Amino acid sequence: MRANRRCFLGCVVLVLGLVLMAPARSPAAPQGTVIYAVHITIAPAWFDPADNPGQITPFIIQYALHDAVIKPMPAGMMTPSLAESWTASKDGRVYEFVLRKNVVFHNGDPMTAEDVKFSFERYRGAGAKLMKEKVEAVTIVDPHRVRFHLKEPWPDFMGFYGSPATGAGWIVPKKYVEKVGDDGFKKAPIGAGPFKLASMTPGVEIVLEAHEKYWRKTPKVKRIVMKSVPEGSTRLAMLKRGEAHIAYKTDGPLGEEVKKDSNLDLVFSGGIATWWLQFGDMNDPKSPWHNQKVRLAASLALDRKALSEAETLGASPPTGSIIPREFEWALPVEPHPYDPKRAKQLLVEAGYPNGFDAGFITPIPPYYSFAEAVAGYLGAIGIKAKVQKMERAVMFDKRRKKELGDICLCANGGFGNAVTRIDADIVSTGVHSVLKDAEIDRLFAEQSRESDPKKREALLKRIQQRVVDQAYFAPIYQLQWPNGVSKAMKVSGMGLIPTFYYTGPFEEIELR
Amino acid sequence: MTRFILKRCGLALASLFILSVTIFVLIRLTGDPATLLAAPEAKEADLQAIRVQLGLDRSWPVQYVHFVGGALRGDFGTSLYYRVPAGALYWQRLPASLQLAAAAMAISLLVGLSVGILAAVHVGRWWDSVGKLIALLGLSMPSFWLGLLLIYFFAVYLHWLPTSGRGTAAHLVMPAVALSGYFTAAHMRLTRSSMLDVLGSDYVKLARLKGLPESWVLVKHAFKNALIPVVTLAGINLVLMINVAVVVETVFAWPGIGRLLYEGIEFRDFPVVQTVVLLGGVMVIAANLTVDILYAWIDPRIRLER
Repeated sequence: MRANRRCFLGCVVLVLGLVLMAPARSPAAPQGTVIYAVHITIAPAWFDPADNPGQITPFIIQYALHDAVIKPMPAGMMTPSLAESWTASKDGRVYEFVLRKNVVFHNGDPMTAEDVKFSFERYRGAGAKLMKEKVEAVTIVDPHRVRFHLKEPWPDFMGFYGSPATGAGWIVPKKYVEKVGDDGFKKAPIGAGPFKLASMTPGVEIVLEAHEKYWRKTPKVKRIVMKSVPEGSTRLAMLKRGEAHIAYKTDGPLGEEVKKDSNLDLVFSGGIATWWLQFGDMNDPKSPWHNQKVRLAASLALDRKALSEAETLGASPPTGSIIPREFEWALPVEPHPYDPKRAKQLLVEAGYPNGFDAGFITPIPPYYSFAEAVAGYLGAIGIKAKVQKMERAVMFDKRRKKELGDICLCANGGFGNAVTRIDADIVSTGVHSVLKDAEIDRLFAEQSRESDPKKREALLKRIQQRVVDQAYFAPIYQLQWPNGVSKAMKVSGMGLIPTFYYTGPFEEIELR
Repeated sequence: MTRFILKRCGLALASLFILSVTIFVLIRLTGDPATLLAAPEAKEADLQAIRVQLGLDRSWPVQYVHFVGGALRGDFGTSLYYRVPAGALYWQRLPASLQLAAAAMAISLLVGLSVGILAAVHVGRWWDSVGKLIALLGLSMPSFWLGLLLIYFFAVYLHWLPTSGRGTAAHLVMPAVALSGYFTAAHMRLTRSSMLDVLGSDYVKLARLKGLPESWVLVKHAFKNALIPVVTLAGINLVLMINVAVVVETVFAWPGIGRLLYEGIEFRDFPVVQTVVLLGGVMVIAANLTVDILYAWIDPRIRLER
């Protein structure tokens, strides 16, 4: 009896001892590996936000490695991240950011105002020249407070600094960059993001590991592997075989295959890229496109829903504006209905009862099937256009030089706000604009001088309304991508950040 | 022989010079990389800043001299896309391409020579039909299609092999088979026709009249002589397999130089394209020299003629 009791007590002590001696393990510790099949080749140049080209692509990795003072998050397009808050002075010349105190970089160094100032001054990517012309000085008030002094009021400052339109607000560690230099930083980047770089094989894969001291929350996944797989069918095969959890860009028939597979989900993401028809020679009075009725007819001839179905499995919402509705100061515009009968009537009224030969329709490569479908709709009302295929660099060059002529199936996928889109595509000096409307140019100049935010917004909306009334473009849809996601994912991070094409925030990604 | 080799080396250098000029000019005619590296809405000043940063604002002759001078020192410039030395990228990717090409060449020679000999020996019969079918499929089926079929059957359906990437021997099987398809057919056809020529020759007839065993006649007298054109073709094909397996490397996400070249062309990455083409050219010339020497070794008459 005594022996039994002793044995029982011994067992209790042993169990208690084992429990107490077991390594402390937080239930929030990151676990598991998520594998991505990425449609593009990840370049080391993207590890450094200082070189951001103004395209969204580098953020496929920068949302994991780095963090920004302000950035788009599920809560909104300008969510305070490394800054707790920000204020603008009444005269619009000083912006002050209060930084978080608990932020550390991957190497353990604390993030301070010095790093914010350094990152801005070091930035040399898209829009750097403009920002540095506008910003007079960056001053450090205290280690967690920084001020940007502008030479004159610039209402678009936050549009550039607080969005992925540039990389100026994405923070790198000053001490580390100064120690290793630019090349060293690209080889071994250190950031303040939720994941740190573990290894990289250029053109093959990159491996990321959770940064457990990430300020917002400890990432739920231990490791992320991004494999570069340019062929869509191979990405789908990887998903089906369980070699990847997330496959970007499984459009067309690939998306249909994903839909059929009970182990996979089809998830849509993005929407920042709007697509539209641009009428190259509409300023020429001899051109049919000079007539507003003809442009309107082209817009009414398009079945946007069917185009969205065919190209993106119905994911891309039709739009009536070339500016995404999520953008600040965007005028929400309903798309024109699909009305070929009225379109034909408008052509008759415009003096083209038998239609006309519109020459070529040139899409941004490689969206040729999209262009074929659009040409089909135009052809149905008598506007005959042939699809012209151009190599990407040649097409971009011609578009920039405004030499495309005829019809362009164009898009803009840059971050920013209504001003940045109007500046690029609508005002006569715009880098891609073929419009020459003196009234729009006048309104745009007026808004740039306007300090009252409400008056400015009204001016910007007047510009957008004029574009709609004149049917200067035939907007089609805000492009969304279908992506394949394994059912093994509890949270894929796809579609959480409005209009963002890639997964994020990375700290939210979770396996089942 | 020494004089011949020296002459060939001089010609090789001249070929390399012409190749370097050609690729330097052609890649620049295809477009401005700044337009692809910058944001679509970037202004001309932004583009010019990129050109200055990458050294593309200088005149073509200056750029060419810089490129050739660097190449002679082993410095092929910095990749515009990867922002790392283009030479380092090439050498990093080369082992994967060599591995893939070696495996594909082994498959193509093993199957191509065997079936080619059998088809020639059994001309007009069952084996010949099998050979014709292999040739038809190999030459007409695009490698990307063959690759996708292999992926869906062996990876997705049977779960025997990994879909893509590089790592284990299992990763190598499907890309090597897909790459070897065309070359197997080519080697098979040439072996068959070459064997048929040789089998009809007087010295083979004489060997048979002498009463030598048929296997001995085939191996010692027929096959050795029929091998010369096949070795020539295989030498050229090996270089092709290493340098232009663009489609197969893309389908299987195989990290070789074919994919590097594809990426280089896509992004107008001048240093990468120049490096891959130039070093590929060096490889072609070296392979041709090697094949010439092998010729002379296999058939002494050639050595005497030269």
